[in-house]
Amino acid sequence: MHALIIDDSKTMRSILRRIVTELGFETTEAGNGQEALDVLEAGLVPDICLIDWNMPLMDGYTFVTRVRADDRWRNVTLMMVTTESEHGQIVRALAAGAHEYVIKPFTPDAIIEKMELLGLFAQEVPA
Amino acid sequence: MTVTLEPSLGDVHAVVEEVWSSFLGAEEPILPLATPMPPGGWSAAITVTGGWDAQITVNLTDAAAQAVTSTMLMCPPEQCSDEDLRDALGELVNMVGGNVKSLMAGSAVLSLPLVGHGDISPGSHLVEVCRLELTWRGEPVVVTVHLPPAADPS
Repeated sequence: MHALIIDDSKTMRSILRRIVTELGFETTEAGNGQEALDVLEAGLVPDICLIDWNMPLMDGYTFVTRVRADDRWRNVTLMMVTTESEHGQIVRALAAGAHEYVIKPFTPDAIIEKMELLGLFAQEVPA
Repeated sequence: MTVTLEPSLGDVHAVVEEVWSSFLGAEEPILPLATPMPPGGWSAAITVTGGWDAQITVNLTDAAAQAVTSTMLMCPPEQCSDEDLRDALGELVNMVGGNVKSLMAGSAVLSLPLVGHGDISPGSHLVEVCRLELTWRGEPVVVTVHLPPAADPS
């Protein structure tokens, strides 16, 4: 399983990398939507993209619309991870094709729970 | 006329506590205790524009800024560069500012964060409406919210 982490903050990429690595994901990072599109164009097809909204060059919303417009990436799960918490923006992102929306600050459990709900992995349930 | 209500001190405090507990460890809470802020230190600011304008600023001492960076990046303080520090403080004010924005009515857009050593002055059309003086790991942390002056109701 592979996660593409898209955030202009190295700190946030580091935090998200630690969480998904614990779940067994390999990771690739991009500092904005354009860099992330370049990664996809180069051939990486991740299982999930974790996407910030406010980034220079190309924001997360535009990235979502570009990915959803291209059939090559129809199976890639898109999860917004952002401080943007206005209802209208959440609706806009989901309507554009994002599968999930996590508002910063978050706990690792919030990310893990959403990824489990998306069927990206299953936590072991004690017998 | 655009009506913008001021965020309450309690709500801003709750936002700051949530950011701190999520990313800087719930076992070391940020305390509502004013500690004198020495000159210098770091400032991180983010502006809101659109339906209403605001600046949200976090001021920290060098030691607090380094501790924030070290904790968020999980690296020894001596390995944190100024670039790391700018990045971590930028993300911190991004989260505080984004959540303060969500307390306010109306649609608006967050800027990218601005981080620097020393003070970051808000726009001349903004006045301080909220000031939180806090302490984390014995170091002062100050969070301020600047908004345009309230319209005269008369």
